[in-house]
Formats: sequence, structure tokens, C-alpha cells
Amino acid sequence: MLPLGIELGCICSTTSIMTNNMFIIGTGRTKFGVLSQSLPELAYEAMYNCIVDSPVPITSIDAIYVSSFLCGPLNGQLHLNSVIASLLPGLNIPIFRVETACSSASAAFIQALYSLERFSTVMVVGVEKMTSAAPSRQIEALAMAADHDERVNGLIFPASYALIAQEYLSKYNIKHEVLELVSFINHKNANANPFAHFYEKAVSREMIRNSRTIASPLNLFDCSPVSDGAVAVVVSKDDVSERDIEVVDSHLVTDTISLTQRDSLTSFKAAKLAAKKAYETGKLSPQDIDIVEVHDCFTISELIALEDLGFCKKGEAAQMVVDGDILRHGKLPVNTDGGLIGDGHPIGATGLAQIYEVVQQIRGEAQGRQVNNAYVGMVHNIGGVGGSAAVTILRGVK
Amino acid sequence: MTYYCAVCQKNWNYRVEKCIFCGADLHARAATMHTVVGFTEVNIPSVHNEVVPYFAYVLVDENKNKTIWKSFQKYDIGDEVDVERDAGGRHMVGVVGTGLLGSGIATYLIQRGFRVVIKTRSDQSKASAEQKITNKLLKAHTQEQTQDLLKNLHITTNFADLHLCDIVIEAGPEDLAIKREIFHALSSVCKEDAILATNTSSLSIFEIAQATDRPDKVIGLHFFNPVSKMKLVEVIIGKQTSQDTNKTVTKFSKQIGKEPVHVSDSPGFLVNRLLLLQINEAVHLLEENIATKEEIDMAMKLGVNHPMGPFALADFIGIDTCVSILETLHKTLKQDQFRPARTLCEMVDSRRLGVKTKDGFYNY
Repeated sequence: MLPLGIELGCICSTTSIMTNNMFIIGTGRTKFGVLSQSLPELAYEAMYNCIVDSPVPITSIDAIYVSSFLCGPLNGQLHLNSVIASLLPGLNIPIFRVETACSSASAAFIQALYSLERFSTVMVVGVEKMTSAAPSRQIEALAMAADHDERVNGLIFPASYALIAQEYLSKYNIKHEVLELVSFINHKNANANPFAHFYEKAVSREMIRNSRTIASPLNLFDCSPVSDGAVAVVVSKDDVSERDIEVVDSHLVTDTISLTQRDSLTSFKAAKLAAKKAYETGKLSPQDIDIVEVHDCFTISELIALEDLGFCKKGEAAQMVVDGDILRHGKLPVNTDGGLIGDGHPIGATGLAQIYEVVQQIRGEAQGRQVNNAYVGMVHNIGGVGGSAAVTILRGVK
Repeated sequence: MTYYCAVCQKNWNYRVEKCIFCGADLHARAATMHTVVGFTEVNIPSVHNEVVPYFAYVLVDENKNKTIWKSFQKYDIGDEVDVERDAGGRHMVGVVGTGLLGSGIATYLIQRGFRVVIKTRSDQSKASAEQKITNKLLKAHTQEQTQDLLKNLHITTNFADLHLCDIVIEAGPEDLAIKREIFHALSSVCKEDAILATNTSSLSIFEIAQATDRPDKVIGLHFFNPVSKMKLVEVIIGKQTSQDTNKTVTKFSKQIGKEPVHVSDSPGFLVNRLLLLQINEAVHLLEENIATKEEIDMAMKLGVNHPMGPFALADFIGIDTCVSILETLHKTLKQDQFRPARTLCEMVDSRRLGVKTKDGFYNY
């Protein structure tokens, strides 16, 4: 049998006119949701699917970056790079774990891109196994993305975003109904994505409106779910097939961990800076973006993201939502996989799931949820409440 | 279970379906034979491993896959182990009696992964035994861990509930007639190959065994109080006790982390014959005004390095128990030195029995 990958990919000898020399040449993921597999089993499934998708065999991988936010607190498993090595017996390549809360996957992806100075072909795998822990443990562990002392003073994740939502809604005089619409659209998109946590869940506006309050003004449906799942991608400094996607740029910018040290609660400075850098590198502007995946860990953060990325002015994101701009066939399709709310939010895998979606859309392989004419796509992945923010721009090579 | 690629000849310890190297379907291979190829005895406790010592083994199976496995039982390199059975507690142990030693032995055993059935006399003593054991466990474990450990405990008033036990340890009163009654009942309910052990400190194993249908399977297994701390067990070989019974009980003692000494069935066995003589002699010293009890205790502590002196120890054992053992020793060995000292007898008459009545040689 041929090494896996060789027989499946189409190896082409196209010479690139691109200058960056960073390409995504393979992607693979698992379903997201409440899954029976263990953390290593999920990571393996994503890596396997990724190698099947990519034109190179696993033995061509020079190094791996693995991201997981909570494998320590929730799975009692650290030294994750060695766990990944156990899944690839005999390979003995460099493997590193990267963690930056909810942007861990983007951080690992960026590390992999950096490493292309040294390596030719690098895999990134993001994995999270969360649902096996008790809910209160999940909430505590998730809140480790916030300042420790503030967490002990009750600032769990939904509370942080609720404070942001309180300020945003009152500042721009926006009703909670808009957030309900954001949730509804994400759930509708998830219904078209067989991998999504809520693929099979039929959600109505009434269900969303009547769901219980988690942290006022945020209801259950304003929140992304706790999910298990894994995603892997292979990046390469050479483009090897027509299905390759160019990485125009990918930036991670940081900010203070505490909201109390920020000038504004209604915008994430780190996200704005990361986007600015990415646009500059690609000599692109928001008008050039055909499709975007934003970090809707809560509905409110989707609105803030659209503004931070420059798709509209401050306070105008609600209008984009109401006008239907963000629908699959709208002006700027947003979160066509369902976003964190509908696709799920297995933290360490999330940023790669967003990249996965944009890659499928640009390749034209998104099947039942394919958008028209996607050529340039953007991914926005936030860690904590904006303490880390990563923005990636991807472009087709065809 | 391991997962094997016949093409690449690679193995996974995780449940995976396809080989990432060649795409072939992986074969799940279950192992049925596990042999010890390495082990370590671990003596420091940690979360999930509160009870020490335990053994961490490296096992190899018939597919040459190695696994790590924990057990409280001791095995040697080359031993074949029954992973399934051991995991649930290799032996089911019965304990008759819920006194100090009965509840101590039961607590000690469930902490080591054994399933324990305790036979007690009444519903009232059943409730108090459960409370006693729970309290002991809570001293060393969290509420959650204690609840988990208690799942291995069953307390009953019915002898018939001991029928599945591999070994029963009788820890009833030191009274031959009562013990014979208990052993008669045990032999009618316990499975044929069950070993019947008595925790007697002075009575004849032979005479107890006569009340059963299996004197070859009756043996003495004498624990010391507190069971959690005292490493010694006396294994007492009765006239009819078989070699197999001796071997099994010796192995069991080691498996539960005790050091067995083997003693022929004779009055007071080893420890009590030496110890009670010393206590009796200490009381004579006191009666003869040779020294005060405090000074005698201090002398034995500081001069002989005993952790407590004879008077403190007599209070701890119970003055009535001391007298009863001495009387047995005196009657059977017919040596005057074992005749209980007058002061001891007076203390029993006036119910000054030591720690348990809060009044003995010292006040508590």
C-alpha cells in the first residue's frame, strides 16, 4: 500500500506567483459535540482525516504544533506533545504544545507558519475534550482564561461578556433581539454543516428568546456550547496542489488580561491591531474579504468582531445583521459553519475549525453550505475577552 | 485493548481505527494473559493513589504489548496476573465482629481494594459499625473517595451473606464457646474452599477448628491494634491446619502489606506471651513499690525504646483483656509467673479497664 496521502492528493508542479510561501495543503476535522472519544482519539481522527485530505504522507511532516487549552485542568493530561507522538509511533519528530486560551489553535497555527523558516511541511492539530468533566469544573476551567483574582471574585466567562454586552447594548441603544438574531443565523448555518455540534438541532426564534438567563443580558442561546472535537491542518512552504490555500498573513496580538485595564469594553484593541497588520501585509481592505469566520463565543462578540475587523463602523454591526448581510448568500457571509455558537467551541480546536471552514469555502468544497465566489477569506479568533486576538487572511491559489 | 497495523507493524494504545501511515484498518487485539515484567512498591500517597503502599506493575501480554497496572497485591517478576479479577478485589473477605479490631481490619481491607462483608449481631451494631468505618475513612479520604470506598463494604446480620467470601476473619469476643459457635455457623454457610481465620490472641486454633467441617482450613490470623499502623500479623498454625491454608494466608498477609510471623498453636502465641508477662511483671514492680508507674513507663520508653510503657499499653489493650489473656496463659502453661497480678484483678472488679472506660492506670 502506498503511503497515505500520495495516492489521494493531486501533486502538481505549479510554480507560485505568491511571495509569502505559506500554504495550507491539507485539512481534516472531527465532528464537534458531546463525543465518546477521548482526547488522544479525537486528535488522531483529525490528523488522520487531514493526512487523507493532504497530498503528503504523515512521514513527510517535519514538525507538529498541538493546541489545547484545558487538557491539564479538565483531562489531567499535560505533556501533550508526547501524547501526539504516541499517536504517531516511530515518527519521533519535534512536537510542541501551544496555549493562549480560546485562541490557542490560531497561536499554534502561527507558530507553525513561523517554523516554515526551518521546516518544509508542518502539521497543526487542535483538540479539546471538555464534556467529560462536571459542568462546574468546566466553568471554573474556562474562567482560567481570566485574571485569577477576578475569577475568584465571580468573573466567569459569561459574566465578562455579559458586562461587555450590557455596555454595548446601552451605548448603541440596541435591543437583545439583535443578539437573538445572531444566534438564530448561526444555528441555521450549523444545520447545513454535518460536523456541527448543533447540526441536527432545530432552533426557533422563540426558543432563543425564551431561553434562561445565564448572565444578564445573555441567555443560554447567546452562549457557545461546551464541545469536544479536533481539527488538523498541514501547512507547507511550497504549494503542491491546486487545492492549496495561500496564507496571506496571520497575526496574533495581545492585550491586558483584565477588562479593568482596557480603555474600551465595546471593542477589542488586540483584534483591531491584528486585523490592521494582516490587511497591510496583504495590501487588502475589508472590501476585499469575501467570507469571514468570527469568534462568536457569545453573540455580542460577533457584533464587536464585525466592527473591529472594519466591515462596518462602531455600533453598526447590528444593522448588518438585521439587513441580512451576514447570511450565507449575503454581502459578507459570516460563520457559514455555524460559528462557535452552532458548530461548537472545543477551545483548542476552534481557531483551526474556522480556518478549516474558510479553506473548504475557497476550495469550493463546502457542499451544502457553499457560498458564491469565495476567493479571499478571513478568520478572527479571540483568546479570553480579547487578551489575545488572532486574525488570519487566506486566499485561493487557483 | 491495543490496535495493531499488520502492514506497518505498529501498535496503538488508544482506540483508533485506521493506520495514519498506510490507511489500513487496524485490528483490535484483546489481551488475556498478563505477566509481570517489572514493578515498584510506591510509598508516597497522591491524589487518586491515597492508599499506600501500592504496587505499580509493568505487564506484558501475549501480543508483547506492555501496560502499566496498579494493584495492592504483591506479585513477583514472571507472575501471571488476573487483571480483571484483581481489579475488583482479588479476594472477597468476610469479617465477623465489629469491635476495635473487626472494624479496623474491615477499614484497612476496603482501603486496599478488597470487597468486605461484615457480619454483626444486630441492626443497631450494624449502624454503629458503618458509622465507625465511615469516620475512620474520612480521616484519610475526602467525602467523595469515602463514598467510593464504602461501595466495597457490605454489613449484614446474616451469616449466609458470607457465602461468597474467599476468606473470613473472625474477630469476636475472646471466649472459646462463642468462637466455636461462630465457626460452626461459618462452616455451614461458607463455600467449600473458603479459609476460616480467627483473630484470637490466645485461644487454641485446634479447639476452634473442631467446631467446623474443615479443620484443615482453620488458621489463626492475629492483627494488632491499630490495624492501619501495626505491620505485624501472627499466622497461627493449628494442629490440623494444612500447608495450603498456611501458604494462602501468608500470601494474603503480604498482599495486604503486613509482615507475617508463623507461630505454632500454643497459649498466647508469640507476642502476647512475651508482652503480658512484661505487663504483669511491671505491675508486680509497682505493687512492690520498686518504682512509680510513670517511672517504669519512662524507663521502658527511654531505655528499651518501646513507643509506650507497659502501664500505658495495658490501658490501651484493656485491663480486662490483659487479665483474660493472663488467665488463659496461667491455666494452660501452668506457670506461676502468668498468674494475673492482684492489682489487675482489682481494677477489673472496679471496672477500671483503661482507655475504653477512661480510667485505668491513667485517666483519659
